[in-house]
Amino acid sequence: MSKYFYIALTSIRSRLAYLGELGSKTIFLFVVLYIFLCLWKVTYAETNQSSLGGLSLKQMLWYLVVTESIIMSLPTIATLVDQDVRTGALAMQLVRPMSYPLNMLAQTSGERVLSFALNFLVGSIIALIFVGPLDFNLSGIAMFLLLIPLSFALDFTIYFLIGLAAFWLEDTTGLTLIYSRMTMILGGMLIPLELFPDGWQQILRVLPFSAIVYGPARVFVTGDLQVFLSVLIQQIVAILVFAFVIRIVYNLALRRVFSHGG
Amino acid sequence: MENAVSVSQLVKNFVLKKREGMRWTESEVKAVDGITLSIEKGQSVAFIGPNGAGKSTTIKMLTGILHPTSGEASVLGCVPWKERTRLAKRIGVVFGQRSQLWYHLPPRDTFELLSKIYEIKQDVFKSRRDMLIERFQLSEFLDTPVRKLSLGQRMRAEVACSLLHGPEVIFLDEPTIGLDVIARQELRDLISEWNRENGVTVFLTSHDAGDIQHVARRVIVINHGRVVLDDRVSRVRRQYLREKVLSVKYADTPESISLDGVKTLKESGHAFKFEVDTLAVPIEKVMSEIMRIGSVVDITIEDPPLEEVIAHIYSAPPTEFGDDAPDDEPDENESKSS
Amino acid sequence: MNWLTSYTNLASAYIKINFKSLLAYRGAFISQMVAMFINDFVWIAFWCLFFTRFPVVKGWGVNDVITLWAIAASGFGLAHMIMGNALALPGIIMRGELDSWLLYPRAVLPHLLLGKSSASSWGDFLFGIVVYAIFVKPDLPHFSLFMALICSVAVLFVGFSVFTGSLAFFMGSAESVSVQLRIAMITFSTYPSPIFQGFVKILLFTLLPAMFVSHLTVSALRNMSMLDALYSFGGALGVLLAGIIMFYVGLRRYESGNLMEMRG
Repeated sequence: MSKYFYIALTSIRSRLAYLGELGSKTIFLFVVLYIFLCLWKVTYAETNQSSLGGLSLKQMLWYLVVTESIIMSLPTIATLVDQDVRTGALAMQLVRPMSYPLNMLAQTSGERVLSFALNFLVGSIIALIFVGPLDFNLSGIAMFLLLIPLSFALDFTIYFLIGLAAFWLEDTTGLTLIYSRMTMILGGMLIPLELFPDGWQQILRVLPFSAIVYGPARVFVTGDLQVFLSVLIQQIVAILVFAFVIRIVYNLALRRVFSHGG
Repeated sequence: MENAVSVSQLVKNFVLKKREGMRWTESEVKAVDGITLSIEKGQSVAFIGPNGAGKSTTIKMLTGILHPTSGEASVLGCVPWKERTRLAKRIGVVFGQRSQLWYHLPPRDTFELLSKIYEIKQDVFKSRRDMLIERFQLSEFLDTPVRKLSLGQRMRAEVACSLLHGPEVIFLDEPTIGLDVIARQELRDLISEWNRENGVTVFLTSHDAGDIQHVARRVIVINHGRVVLDDRVSRVRRQYLREKVLSVKYADTPESISLDGVKTLKESGHAFKFEVDTLAVPIEKVMSEIMRIGSVVDITIEDPPLEEVIAHIYSAPPTEFGDDAPDDEPDENESKSS
Repeated sequence: MNWLTSYTNLASAYIKINFKSLLAYRGAFISQMVAMFINDFVWIAFWCLFFTRFPVVKGWGVNDVITLWAIAASGFGLAHMIMGNALALPGIIMRGELDSWLLYPRAVLPHLLLGKSSASSWGDFLFGIVVYAIFVKPDLPHFSLFMALICSVAVLFVGFSVFTGSLAFFMGSAESVSVQLRIAMITFSTYPSPIFQGFVKILLFTLLPAMFVSHLTVSALRNMSMLDALYSFGGALGVLLAGIIMFYVGLRRYESGNLMEMRG
């Protein structure tokens, strides 16, 4: 296990060189947060309510800080796997004494954690300026810190699967794009699930998208134990299911590598 | 005869900003440092010098891309940096490292587009295009996407592109860079043929000594932004380009070589490096002597690098220097092989 | 007039060759267009969801926002499918690639801009028109005004891209700055304009001229107001003019070789 931890650390260190690039992305974060502050302010005022979908204006903006940070920190998992499949690098990796999927997970997670932390830091400063501090409770933060790695892991399994599709598909960028956009819209990046039409909510709570984006953000701003437990279960089940699918698909793919020579 | 290009005291300084610790210091770099020259219409001139000597900067000023710090220039009667677009219709430019061909499309499409850019009348365009296709032998790959062409084919198409609007002067900046020996020779022949038959003035830069001998009749050597030599190619060749460097590897220890005009530069084990003065002894004779004294495993013949030629020029200034050498007397060395 | 015909011919020659060049990789071209469709559609989906919950925001309904998205997407698309190099300008300047463009007997800026077509922009362009036709179901006068406003927005985007891209003449790290400015401008121009008030509203009428994309076009279409359409055109021309001035002032620095130290 420790070697994968080391891989993750190394990837973080190599990413630190690109701090400037990450920094310029924060301008975009500022613009988005400002625009949504304006949009929600107007919406709260016009509906004459202090709480929409169970969130106050302040919570709504902090919710957005978390969801945007999750989405913006996404590393290019599917592209990396896709390239490894096409260039034959994946076949080369098989000789090494480590698991390719776990190696990939470590490498991309290191990058993602760093990028998330930076975006989240900047987002928090902006939110502090715009709406002030959130009424945190420590248990909420603890629950959030537990959900975030699982959210990244779940996201990873799906992107990894899409990358593996390169064994059969000519191009996986389309799939990647569709999945990423579904995560944004169905995961509740811009509006929390509670504000979706009533019929949708039941379905969305079962799909993996909300476990990646909505879940951690909601728990962060409200510290709701009920939501935490259901998201946790949703994440664990989804990870197990996708890990199982990866196992099957990966073995199928390996058989292809060995019979066709990549 | 009228001048196609005349340049007087042309200077270009660049300001270089360097960071030392926290401070920025500015220093001036003289890229072109008072160049004066004139080129008659129809002449072909090689403008050579090592990398960073000021060749490209001079071309950029003569084509109107860069404004000089001081000095004057006139190309076909236009001041390049003041009448750039007017001049652009009458000159052609080829940058060896920059393509104007559309990478994913066949050369034919680029020709078509150029006819629109230069607003060439359709009948003029068609006849000139067809002539270029024939002369540059483009027909076999005229409809093949450029990305599938060999570098030699691409450069031929590239030069043809720059001739499409019938320029009176053509500037070629390192046109042979990266080409193999045969493609290089083909391109040189085409350029000098075009110069001879169509009367186009050719201004060619290169840091390859070989380009001088095959394309141009006159050579201008610049270094550190100054003209260090301006003379007929024939004379330059006699004085400075007569040496060849031969690297030979033998199977075992050969007999020693003793031939006038052959100097042993380096010797290690069975490998030798000779410098041959081709005026003192024909290369053919040297070759047979080398073969005679031992069993040859490997052999290469090279021109000395341009840096050495320039060092040579500094150490042994030309006997008759300057613009007084007209180009009308026949080039007596033209047919002799070197 | 002569000038106009000459450059119209040039533009049509470039549109033709650019399109041909894109078709050389038909698969990649189509998938980039589809990708843009999907990308843009996410936002339409978001607004549909938002407006089911909150039907009116400061007088704006779902049709207004969809109209806005359609105009912005098509305008941006039109701008960069014809003048795709507007997006690449900082790179062209910093890598010294302007040299090649200076060697043609044409005005540098328009010629250079025509030199490339952005593949994904074709997707943006079509998306806007399709979405407007399907969701808003306009009558002929509205549709005609819509098309005219697309042109106005396209002029504005080209002008803004040229303006921000020309920053590369003056500063070393302009590439990321100009991308950030462009993204900020596009982002601001795709939200209902009435939510912005005060200082930011002034900013959006000047330095980040998003209001000419969002505010004036939507009100022009809603009320069939030719005056608002004219204001929108005026703003677009103003931005274009600013871009042109910025470019040619910068070009002088380029011609004097003052950029050398940045290019090394």
